[in-house]
Formats: sequence, C-alpha cells, structure tokens
Amino acid sequence: MADTTKSFEPGQEFTSRMRMMTRERMRWYVDAQPTVALDTGRIERQEPTIHDDDDYARSQGLPGIIADGMVSTNWIMGLLIDTFGDHVARGGSLRTRYIKPVYEDDKLTSHARVTSAEKADGKTAYKLEVWCSNGNGDPVTVGEATVVVPN
Amino acid sequence: MTTGRYVSDLDEGDVLGPVEYTISRFVIREYAHAVELHEDCFQHKNGQIAPPTMVHLDKLRLYKHACPAGTGPHARVHVEYDATIHAPVPAEARLKIEGRVSSRYLKRGRDYVHMEIEMRLAETNALLVSYRDTVILSYKGEEKEGNRANG
Repeated sequence: MADTTKSFEPGQEFTSRMRMMTRERMRWYVDAQPTVALDTGRIERQEPTIHDDDDYARSQGLPGIIADGMVSTNWIMGLLIDTFGDHVARGGSLRTRYIKPVYEDDKLTSHARVTSAEKADGKTAYKLEVWCSNGNGDPVTVGEATVVVPN
Repeated sequence: MTTGRYVSDLDEGDVLGPVEYTISRFVIREYAHAVELHEDCFQHKNGQIAPPTMVHLDKLRLYKHACPAGTGPHARVHVEYDATIHAPVPAEARLKIEGRVSSRYLKRGRDYVHMEIEMRLAETNALLVSYRDTVILSYKGEEKEGNRANG
C-alpha cells in the first residue's frame, strides 16, 4: 500500500518488480475485451487476434503473438498507484506510446521518474517520465504522467 | 461520413456514438484482474471505481456501434494511449461515451487515425475521462513505430 503522506523530489525513480509477458497474460487481456463489452457475468472469448493466435499473428507479418500495448500501460499505472496511491485513478493524466514489440516471455519492468513537483492549493502535482523496458533494458513503452496528490 | 461499415473506412470528422452503458462491478473486477491491478479501489465493493484505462475499451465499443462490419482486411496497430482523468469512474454508473475522428493522414505509407473520446456520467453529463487514441490502419507487417494490433 502506498504511503500517501510521503513527498517526492524531481529525479526520484521508482521501479516495479519484473514480470514475464507470458502467453497467459496476453490472453487475459484479449479475453477481458469481450468480457467487458458483453457483461454477461461469464468470461467471453473473441475471434483470433495477433495477441493470442500464432497463425493469425504470422498471417499479419509477425513472427508470433505480441502483447497488446495496453497491458504495459496498465502495468505502468499499477506502479504509479503503488507509489502514489489511488489518487492516480481519480485525476491526472497518463500518455504512453508503444515503440517496440513485446514478445512472448519478454521480461518487462515498469519505471517512473519524477520530473517536477509543484505545490498549490493544498495539493502537489507531480509530473513523471514513465516507461517499460524489456530484459535487454530497451524501452518498449514510453510516456508521461501527471499525478495530483493532496498534501 | 464513413461510419456504417469497416473501422478502416473511418475518416476525419466522423462521429461515433453517443453510446450509453452501465459499468458493472463485475467488468471492473474482470478488467482489473486481467491487467493485474489488484488495488482495493478496483476490487472492493465500498467506493469501487474503474481503472481509467478502461476508456480504451470504449473505443472498441464505439467501433462496434459505428462499424458493424468489423476491422477490415488488416489488423490495426495501437500506437498511443493518452488519457486525462477529470473525475473517478464509479462502479454501477450509467456512462455516456462519444468519439470523434480528429484526423487521418498518411505518413511513410501508413494510415494514422486519431480519435478523441469523452466518457461522461449519463445523468449529469459530467466529464470523467477524455482520451486521445492513435492507431495505424492497414498494418501489414512488423514496423518500427507501431507494434500492437487489435487495440
């Protein structure tokens, strides 16, 4: 649980635990989409995608399945919530760009670095650089976030 | 106006929706489990809210509403997520979503489409999340800039 009474300084960096992008993790997100859309109270499935079907992925010019970018976006958001608390889901912003493919069994780590902290009206607005890197240390998802925390 | 058939037909100025739906506790938990957001605010009954990243699934909801023939001949590549959270998204709220294709252009032989989506409370019209989504249509193989599809 995040200690929301803490304050943070520009340059401070946070890192998540490493997670392997397994076939199961890719499929969980694929299945979540029709499950949310249909809201039947059951897990729903959809047509093959490049995230869960190797043959379909290869038909689209890929070497195999790749992860949906929104998985890494959510993992970055999880790191921000672990650091700043659930204020992250109640205000602010998050922007992520997907710059490299994430393949099955890639080892992903989420990162956030404070770039500014401005206090006003009883709140602190933090701006952060955020990214996910793979096992080689290469960024695969990059972006920025703003988190607003009451003082 | 190029709605009514494939997602790949969408063009600048197209308006998708509005569409109304109720965001249930079940779909919030399912989505949060799928992306490993195990924080209390998404899982518990008291004060449960939705991960703001769920706005991305509203794009798919709007696609389904406005483009019933589906994606089109090629997988789509999601290249950027950019959301601003104005207020938390409460569980069991009736939501109204609407999208507008703000631009479509060719860059290095690829079709980029930007869509602006707003998620509001249906009852009061209060803005909860504004989202700018960027995709490449007509994806035909692994490319440097984009690497996720069906998102």
